[in-house]
Amino acid sequence: MSEAQDADFLLGSRGVSRDLGAWVVGVAWERGGGGACGFGLGDGTVRVARPAATAEDWASAAAHGGGACLSLCADARGGFLSGGDDGRLVRVTAEAGVDEIARPARSRWVEHVAAHESGLRAAAVGKALHLYDANGAALKVLAHPSSVGGVAFDAKGKRVAASHYNGASLWFVGSKEDKPRVLEWKGSHAGIAVSPDGTHVVTAMQENALHGWRLADGQHMRMSGYPGKTRSLSFTARGRWLATSGADSVVIWPFHGGGPMGKAPTELAGGDGVFCTAVACHPQHEVVAAGFGDGLVLLAEIASGKVIPVAPPGHGGVSALAWNAAGSHLAFGTETGFAGVVDLSRR
Amino acid sequence: MPESTPIPVTVLTGYLGAGKTTLLNRILSENHGKKFAVVINEFGELGVDNDLVVDADEEVFEMNNGCICCTVRGDLIRIIGGLMKRKGDLDGIIIETTGLADPAPVAQTFFVDEDVKARTRLDAIVTVVDAKNLPARLADSREAEEQIAFADIVLLNKMDLVSPEEAAEVERRIRAINPQVEIRRSTKSDVPIDAVIGRDAFNLARILEREPEFLSGDDDHEHDGEIQSLSFEAARPIDPEKFNAWISGLLAQKGQDLLRTKGILHYSGEDRRFAFQAVHMMADGDFVGSWREGDPRRSKIVFIGRDLNRPQLRRGFESCQVEDGAAA
Ligand SMILES: [Zn+2]
Repeated sequence: MSEAQDADFLLGSRGVSRDLGAWVVGVAWERGGGGACGFGLGDGTVRVARPAATAEDWASAAAHGGGACLSLCADARGGFLSGGDDGRLVRVTAEAGVDEIARPARSRWVEHVAAHESGLRAAAVGKALHLYDANGAALKVLAHPSSVGGVAFDAKGKRVAASHYNGASLWFVGSKEDKPRVLEWKGSHAGIAVSPDGTHVVTAMQENALHGWRLADGQHMRMSGYPGKTRSLSFTARGRWLATSGADSVVIWPFHGGGPMGKAPTELAGGDGVFCTAVACHPQHEVVAAGFGDGLVLLAEIASGKVIPVAPPGHGGVSALAWNAAGSHLAFGTETGFAGVVDLSRR
Repeated sequence: MPESTPIPVTVLTGYLGAGKTTLLNRILSENHGKKFAVVINEFGELGVDNDLVVDADEEVFEMNNGCICCTVRGDLIRIIGGLMKRKGDLDGIIIETTGLADPAPVAQTFFVDEDVKARTRLDAIVTVVDAKNLPARLADSREAEEQIAFADIVLLNKMDLVSPEEAAEVERRIRAINPQVEIRRSTKSDVPIDAVIGRDAFNLARILEREPEFLSGDDDHEHDGEIQSLSFEAARPIDPEKFNAWISGLLAQKGQDLLRTKGILHYSGEDRRFAFQAVHMMADGDFVGSWREGDPRRSKIVFIGRDLNRPQLRRGFESCQVEDGAAA
């Protein structure tokens, strides 16, 4: 595919791109109707793109002066939530304004952030998961046995899951007594995802494998055989499939019909020998956006295996990927600071 | 953008009070124009004056392979991952460990994690020891002995507090544990920065370029403690298949007792030298340049560990040679 012309890719015909000059740590689309897209960067800034205004410069917010953004997500009610190695949890508005929400622990990194439309925000600092409400008031601090490797709310915002050594902890956010359900499995667990119906939790392990728990009965699910680290996980909208990075194809596990136990995963868009580094499932359709280590971005339809190229290789490994809520726009960023936004709406 | 070259990582170990933090501050305050990220532990002796200081928790986890020696510093994986995302070129990362730290999980982190392996290289493990107190530490602590066993460079500090005889005896004790280690004497950790930083001491090929004879040292040192070092040579070329079968079996079975294994091998029919190294069960190997013209192509291997059976290891290594009379 490296021979292909830029015109063969949707980025050339339907997208805008920028060289942002620093590692794209995270990308997210604003909740609500605003339509802005935020890129959290390794130079400590958050850049805000407005896809409607394709020619306009992307505004820059100095979110973590002198440091790096370590994690970025859409904030609960518009704007973006960013955690940095300066120890700050900040909200960046669509106009690139910066408000500090908290500085949970001096000289400690805010490594993972998550937010839910109900107004909840979560920030992981070492072993502690700090929860804040929509106004930025501290709600509680949830303690874990070791550093938190990943954080995810369930779809309803009732529970928050945090991965760590030897498993994950699942907390009821509104519970009076904070006692987690501990999901145990030996090893180090990083990225974490909760299935959209809240029935499964899956983590990305140090050992080139995923581990899952079926919450109804605590059944373990081992998904192994990856040649590389599985760091990116994404369920399809109704939770029938889990797309994952870590192989030279997009590996997709069936979470229906008795799977994934005893079922082989589906592999899409493989064969180039380059590892998939990021995945993001479409918010409605069973379509996966995938980024690869050489910068290639593509769309793959799960049922047909049909692949549509989005961005050509050559701009650094894809490190961030996100759909807007309508599923009409896809944004991506790479380790070397290349970023793009592609309009996929019907014309 | 071109792939960036791996960032060198220096690991500083040593007992509390040996002078580790003094050395660290000396490295940082020297006017070298280099930018270091410093990873310190929460029990550091003194403040560290640097722009980029990261607190580490020394969180060790066991890999999910049922083995107690396969341990990794998860906090370092996260911290190095975070540092790599920063804008701006780092010249190096310095990791300070607590006095009681076992160096194995730190070293193993550089074998295990693909991101750490791709973006950094372990430059050297530098162990700072107190010349006066080392004999007492060796007597009462397993960690003190391990820190010497793992070291590429030992900084024999507080030389002003010992007599020449005491210094010679301490060096003998160090060599008994780790005959190949480079020993630098100092007072108040006063060594030039290039004695400890940018040494590439973990890299066997480089050691050989610098000191081709490093693996040929005799191992007749008496060993006073638990840890000993054994080295063996083979005159006939090594059969790679036999060696792989033997070493993987040995590491799987004996890896918990083997702290470090290093070898330079003459593979049959191969003009380049093969460098092998392992920390406990985690092993790595690569071809590293040709044999020197006129030098004998003898394979060498060194084991540092506990409870080592010399005749068994010797027979094992010698059995990896190609049959007598077979083509080399
Ligand atoms: Zn082991």
